[in-house]
Amino acid sequence: MGAVLSDIWKKTPNASDLLKTRLGKLELKTPLTVASGTFDLENLEFFDEACLGAFVCKTITRDPKKGNPPPRLYETEAGLINSIGLQNPGLDIFINEKLPQYRERLHVPLIVSFSGSSIGEFESMLVQLESCSGISGYEINISCPNVENEGIAFGVCPDVVYDLVSRLSSQTNRELCVKLSPNVTDISQIAQAVESGGADSLALINSVWGMAIDYQSGKSQVKKGIAGYTGIGIKPIALALTYKAAQKVDIPILAMGGIYNWQDALEFIWAGASAVALGTANFVNPLAAPELIMGLGEYLLQTDQKISDIIGKVSF
Amino acid sequence: MNNPQYRQRAIQYREELSDDYFILWIWDEALGAAGRPGQFYEIRALASLKNADNVNKIPKLFKPVSIYDNQGGRIGFMIKRVGEGTNALSKLRTGDMLELIGPAGNGFPIYRGKRILLLSGGIGYPPLWYLQKELINHNQVYWMHGGARQGDVFPCDEIWTEDGSIGKTGRVCDGVAEIIQKSEIDIVYSCGPLPMLSAASKIISDLGVEHYTSLEAYMACGIGVCHGCAVPIGTKDNWDYLRVCKEGPVFRAEEVRWELF
Repeated sequence: MGAVLSDIWKKTPNASDLLKTRLGKLELKTPLTVASGTFDLENLEFFDEACLGAFVCKTITRDPKKGNPPPRLYETEAGLINSIGLQNPGLDIFINEKLPQYRERLHVPLIVSFSGSSIGEFESMLVQLESCSGISGYEINISCPNVENEGIAFGVCPDVVYDLVSRLSSQTNRELCVKLSPNVTDISQIAQAVESGGADSLALINSVWGMAIDYQSGKSQVKKGIAGYTGIGIKPIALALTYKAAQKVDIPILAMGGIYNWQDALEFIWAGASAVALGTANFVNPLAAPELIMGLGEYLLQTDQKISDIIGKVSF
Repeated sequence: MNNPQYRQRAIQYREELSDDYFILWIWDEALGAAGRPGQFYEIRALASLKNADNVNKIPKLFKPVSIYDNQGGRIGFMIKRVGEGTNALSKLRTGDMLELIGPAGNGFPIYRGKRILLLSGGIGYPPLWYLQKELINHNQVYWMHGGARQGDVFPCDEIWTEDGSIGKTGRVCDGVAEIIQKSEIDIVYSCGPLPMLSAASKIISDLGVEHYTSLEAYMACGIGVCHGCAVPIGTKDNWDYLRVCKEGPVFRAEEVRWELF
């Protein structure tokens, strides 16, 4: 599928300048990344990675995580319910087995997503990752809805978020992006705590709490009951929260939640996002990423705009 | 071609089997050469987001469909109409476009010189059709298939229906122990609904016979990325959730932790 991307640059020769954006310390060649856990090297069989500004890996935890019992998925009338439970092989195996593959294969910046069950655990994971080469930044996942005592416990309290982020930001010069949950009373308070703590950027939103039940049997469609809801149905929620956070912080926002195409991406950029990520869309359209960049590049070229002209310029 | 590929291919031919079952045939020599029995594709009726008039029409997930037949680039998918996704597939005609991701998964191990029992239930039939073609010249193969009614059974050596409309009456598992003992079966391959596979696994393991089973699961990515299709595999005390799409869909039945589903 390499042809798909060369088509983009052929059709829009100047688009590469228009598509540049900045996410904190990172200069991104395009404003597009992928949502943690929805994309991996296997997807790069389908298209050229050059359409991505950065690559975000699946969230890792210090110890291996088995994940949640099946069934873990259900497709609703508008988006997907998932209950994966951060299944991953743990930090040591990630560093020894997965990271070398990323280093060898990827030419775009790698953002490592990780989560911990205490501030100390987050810190020790960061220290271990700091000693590894080939990492451009971190996504601090404090927002997974599918694990009880990890991540989300931190994502709901501004004081704890501030404490965590300030401890982490003092120990790295790499991009520090903090991923927020929509399942909070006021996301702008959490966003401000992240900014005050010294993070370089925000990622939002993680999955919204959701549920699906078989109307005849009364049985939950996923084993754990309450799960994470992603995809088209959460787009208006994600857009509102992006706008809300952007009103309160100056650090750049990596927005995600129901983005499927370049038109969706533009809506989030108007609302205040500096970059966007594809999540559930990767499952329903294997070429979502190159199509998004091709469409966005053509649009910017035709309208003579740059990404930076649009960020946060929503009108009412 | 180690990892699954994404392709758009025209349906060369659509074959009607009954009201509920049909076969879609495509043509692709490279994909055909890469495929093995027990592997599957994620397939879907082509849905395009490219047309700006159509931006609000968001396509649904691909559906995992095992390879029914694969010979010289001619690849067949035998499909049962069960839900929204397969219903959309059922509306496709010759010439319509299909989106495919595959071939995916591990496939069945292939043996020679063995006495083999194939055991299928309902829409578990298709992957065993491709498998028996690979096995038949080098092994002694006996195939038992069961379904709810006459419409759910297909050519094989021994047919069972729950309503007794054709073949033996009852569940196909009822006849398994007798065949294994009478024919001194070395290896069983199975595919079908989970309760059937679980019941068969108990019977077959009690007889100490090697058993490979192909599992079905709800999938999002189909390529090992999302971990949505994971099932418990291992020993009673040491198991992990493995991905049906990547480490599976074929597992040693004795390693499937049926009690944890």
